[in-house]
Amino acid sequence: MNPPDASPEKWNLRLYTAGQSPKSLAALANLKRVCDEHLAGRYSIEVVDLLKNPRLAKEDEIIAIPTLVRKLPEPLRRLVGDLSDTERTLVGLQLRPRK
Amino acid sequence: MEPISEPLEQELAQLRQRLEEAEDVRRAITRGEVDAFVVAPGGNNRVLLLANAYQRYRQLVERMQQGAITASANGQILFANQRFADMLAVPLAQLYTAPLESYVKLGDRARVSAFLMMTARDARIDVELERRDGAVIPARLSIASFADGYATLLVSDLRPLQWPRLAVDALDSIRNSLESLNRSLAADPAARDALRDISVEINGLARMIDEMLDVESMSTARK
Repeated sequence: MNPPDASPEKWNLRLYTAGQSPKSLAALANLKRVCDEHLAGRYSIEVVDLLKNPRLAKEDEIIAIPTLVRKLPEPLRRLVGDLSDTERTLVGLQLRPRK
Repeated sequence: MEPISEPLEQELAQLRQRLEEAEDVRRAITRGEVDAFVVAPGGNNRVLLLANAYQRYRQLVERMQQGAITASANGQILFANQRFADMLAVPLAQLYTAPLESYVKLGDRARVSAFLMMTARDARIDVELERRDGAVIPARLSIASFADGYATLLVSDLRPLQWPRLAVDALDSIRNSLESLNRSLAADPAARDALRDISVEINGLARMIDEMLDVESMSTARK
């Protein structure tokens, strides 16, 4: 297992979902697991349900759901999909270097 | 080779990131990792779900007068409807990813954990939920469905006098829908007649509930 990220900075993550669509639920569960393992106590997840507020998609230029946006630490990063590929999620969030 | 100027290097980096993001979208779609898209006809964003029936199901869950949650096997709340948030008096957004057991009274937590591991449809248990202010709410948890490792639970508020209030709320909601239908179908005589008949039935039901509430309050006063 990859060691947890040791830097003290706060991670601010936003997950765009479509209600409780199967992929949205999977993305949330996968994200929570990754965060608990690698960012314990240093992250916040904001869930934005685009079925309720589709206008909010504009801010982060969302076109497919689910999409995860790393707001902090900068730079902003977007990951599309249900985050089932843990390796890809870790690389995408820059918690693990690209091979 | 000549060194690249700084503005050009920045532009290249931005283009590379955009390309990576576009590639990520393509990859997620081809691997079936997304189930909805945002489109913006005329500048107005809309969400298109891949399955049409799902939208109707979601609206039903959102509007129903019973609490509903979807939880993972380890008790993490992945979805909750507004009614469940109202029962616990917390903002809906606060419930996402929260452990269900943190809203269950200490003595019932082990039972709830075991219950979430059950896959039998229609299984149910009575527990006590606990609000942050310490108020206790007797509730019945029923498994509505179990799929892909997630249980969808219906949560019924078992406090006395809840059902008449919920019935009144439901009737109000139906009345609002009828008024909206009335406006849309005003030109159609057959639809108007059908809606009038439904309204009569609804008003009859409302009167019955009012009478039952009177009886209930009288018997409560006697105790």
